[in-house]
Amino acid sequence: MKSGRPKRGLAVNDLRVEFYTDDGIVKAVDGVDFTVDPGIRMGIVGESGSGKTTTALALMGMIEPPGKVVGGHAKLDELELLDLTEEQYRQHRLATVSYIPQGAMNSLNPVARIGTQILDGMTDHGHNLRGNEARDRVADLLTQVDLSPDVARMFPHELSGGMKQRACIAIAIALQPKLLIADEPTSALDVITQRRVMETLRKVQEEIGSSLILIGHDMGLMAQFVDEMMVMNNGRVVEQGKVRDIFARPSHSYTKLLIDSVPSLKRSERAQTGLNGNHAKAASEVPLLEFDAVGKTYSKGRTRIEALKPLTLRLDGDIPRVIAIVGQSGSGKTTMGSLALGFETASQGMVHFDGVDIGKMTNGASSKFRREVQAVFQDPYASYNPFYKVDHVLTVPLSKFKIARSRSEALGHMIQACESVGLDPAQTIHRYAHQMSGGQRQRLMVGRAIMLKPRLLVADEPVSMVDASLRSTILNNLAAMKAELGTSVLYITHDLATAYEIADFVLVLHKGQVVEAGRPETVIDDPQHPYTRLLVDSIPWPDPNRNWGTGGSIDEELKEVAAADLSAPTIIREQVAGFHLG
Amino acid sequence: MRILRRVLLMVFIIWIAASINFLMPRLSDRNPVEEVIAASMGESGGTMEGFEEAVADFERRFGMDQPVWKQYLNSIYDALTFDLGMSISYFPDRVSTLVLQAAPWTLGIMLTTTLLAFVIGTPLGALTVWDRAPRWINVIVPIVMILAAIPFYLIGLILIYVFASRLNWLPTGKGYSSGMIPEWSWDFAGNVMTHALLPGLSILLASVGIWALSMRGMMVTVQGEDYMVFAKAKGLSGKRRFWRYGVRNAVAPQITALVLTLANVVTGAVLVERVFAYPGLGNLLYQAILVNDYYLIFGCVYMLVLTVGISLMFLDLVYPLIDPRIRADANG
Repeated sequence: MKSGRPKRGLAVNDLRVEFYTDDGIVKAVDGVDFTVDPGIRMGIVGESGSGKTTTALALMGMIEPPGKVVGGHAKLDELELLDLTEEQYRQHRLATVSYIPQGAMNSLNPVARIGTQILDGMTDHGHNLRGNEARDRVADLLTQVDLSPDVARMFPHELSGGMKQRACIAIAIALQPKLLIADEPTSALDVITQRRVMETLRKVQEEIGSSLILIGHDMGLMAQFVDEMMVMNNGRVVEQGKVRDIFARPSHSYTKLLIDSVPSLKRSERAQTGLNGNHAKAASEVPLLEFDAVGKTYSKGRTRIEALKPLTLRLDGDIPRVIAIVGQSGSGKTTMGSLALGFETASQGMVHFDGVDIGKMTNGASSKFRREVQAVFQDPYASYNPFYKVDHVLTVPLSKFKIARSRSEALGHMIQACESVGLDPAQTIHRYAHQMSGGQRQRLMVGRAIMLKPRLLVADEPVSMVDASLRSTILNNLAAMKAELGTSVLYITHDLATAYEIADFVLVLHKGQVVEAGRPETVIDDPQHPYTRLLVDSIPWPDPNRNWGTGGSIDEELKEVAAADLSAPTIIREQVAGFHLG
Repeated sequence: MRILRRVLLMVFIIWIAASINFLMPRLSDRNPVEEVIAASMGESGGTMEGFEEAVADFERRFGMDQPVWKQYLNSIYDALTFDLGMSISYFPDRVSTLVLQAAPWTLGIMLTTTLLAFVIGTPLGALTVWDRAPRWINVIVPIVMILAAIPFYLIGLILIYVFASRLNWLPTGKGYSSGMIPEWSWDFAGNVMTHALLPGLSILLASVGIWALSMRGMMVTVQGEDYMVFAKAKGLSGKRRFWRYGVRNAVAPQITALVLTLANVVTGAVLVERVFAYPGLGNLLYQAILVNDYYLIFGCVYMLVLTVGISLMFLDLVYPLIDPRIRADANG
């Protein structure tokens, strides 16, 4: 190691990236300065469009036309990154600067085995390993990211989301780069998997001693993971410093907004509104939604997977309730939503809506059911047909359910729908889905549901793909539906923290079984079941002093969960009026 | 298990095809036996005396005096045993002989040109959306795409005009020169090649652009995938990104299209074989339809059904090798 040259690590000076669009020049990154010392974890936070990903791509030399790096310096040790030719850059990617992609779901080549995908990157940097040597190296890397060496033989579609993300990390660290850039590496994962992947990432980063840049919009994750951070807005850095200082004393209003938008245990008044209910109708005999020992089993070949174990519950509907169904992917929470929507037929038991078995509905009853039960799904991109204007999602139900008799009446409803979720009708109607942002699309979906004044709304991860600041807007809309329209909501999520904010009652689902249920404050403040404890411990609190796993290491907690008796009855902490479990 | 299912499916397809083929010509009110006999009597300059008996005699020989259901069962049984009966128009040649004589001509020229067009067109199309592609791509691809818009028989006619009629370099048609005797010799092989050149070229010119166009579309989609971005971030060489990540993923639907095209070589050949008077299945089928030769029509169409069935079975069996995601479904 050369001494006397004190400046090591990454030093970025006045970085500028511009995009040349039809509407003029967009300054995506507008004079950004920062340094990352060796071994330091640096966070870049901002919402979509803030320039955080563009900054990372500029460091990777991967700005594509119409974008261009127009100025600045980026020195990594003695190497000026921005002066490299394309071929030199190619040599340094992976070897010197390595990238862990966003959306690991699709970042692996679907037709190549994981082992091949680890080795090909090494081969193209002159590390041509063969036979046993290659196999051992791949096995080492996979072990390092806590995967079994057998994964080398597998294809991406055979891996879960968390495993794919680990495989991407294994690829990225193969040549022990000086700088790792992780771009929202866990945005598609549930909280437990997120915590495990981030712990693995921290471990390997410390082992190879590289610097790391974590890009994201989740302040909670930043608080848990990075040493220093900078907040970006509109291509500029608005605040930077040690993570503890920023959380303790956020100086910029935008930083405060980001911190406040993270769901935290400051339970808002939202959930309380309408509790005692202007809408409490006379207690009716017929419950709104009833699960009578409903179970769902999928069989694939000879293996049978019990997605949902027999579950009995009753949602009266006379007092509107928000019932949160919380669990990891594969816990059966989405199956439960699909059963309530009648998209899946129960393998056993019966689902009743308004006293009618939804498996045996007449056409008239089915039409009424479709109108009174609405859904909002996770992916605000996939919910729209790209060939239609967004009006289509509004006009179809209006004409199908004969709500509007004339065009002008329909337009009135549409304008109301937009306004109810704070969208400008003139800026929304007559647009195509791709012309709107993800948050706008999701809000319009909620607006559509409001327009139909349903009695039951099934919301499946409605906020997991939108920016943090929009999250609270959408949750407010849901709360307003309950308070003003008397709509009951099945809120399906992996995120206990948002459930805490909005729900009247929480069901914790684990392997198709409700393991714990009760009011959110009871369940989250004092979890009884080991699985609930693990979920609560995995919430990335926006507080550097409140670390992940205060209840112990994740491995111990996982062991405890594995040891828990799955046939044990649900731990029911209490009941609330209007909803009955069991 | 899976293979058995495929084979059963194919038998079912063949049965349906055989049934339809039995029915279709019989819906026409023309009587081929009468037509052929009348024609031959007319040629020999004789009277129409004994016409009725001759027709009855022939109908008995072909089994056409039997009840329809019996004719149907016979035709199905014959189809399964590959006994396709005698041709009416080429009597007494057997249909199987005629079909087997014609098949190698069609399969030879069509398979070769289709595969060549695929092998040339696919990488060309992929290169059009590749940033490091050589310059000449931007010249050649528009040309092949314009050619793709012209029907291949029209290209064939132009080729005949230029190379056969005007320049006199190549023969205008037929499978081989009329003086030659088919045999295994260099002479004869060379002669066949020169005759195949123009029809082959016309198909090739017309279809390279189609492959290029569809590959281009797939490649654009693949280029937007996250794994292409990650491949670049991995610092992979351009060559590896192009072939192993780009083309490898974009080519799967191309393979499906290739197999479907191969399945239709027999029908695809009709026009081109007519233009070049090529002695293949397409020409044979055309002749048979002109004179309502049931048995010969069935023989040709039967070949068609077999190629379609076998191609699709082949596709089902090889597709898992192309796309590992299908493999998982097949095992499950």
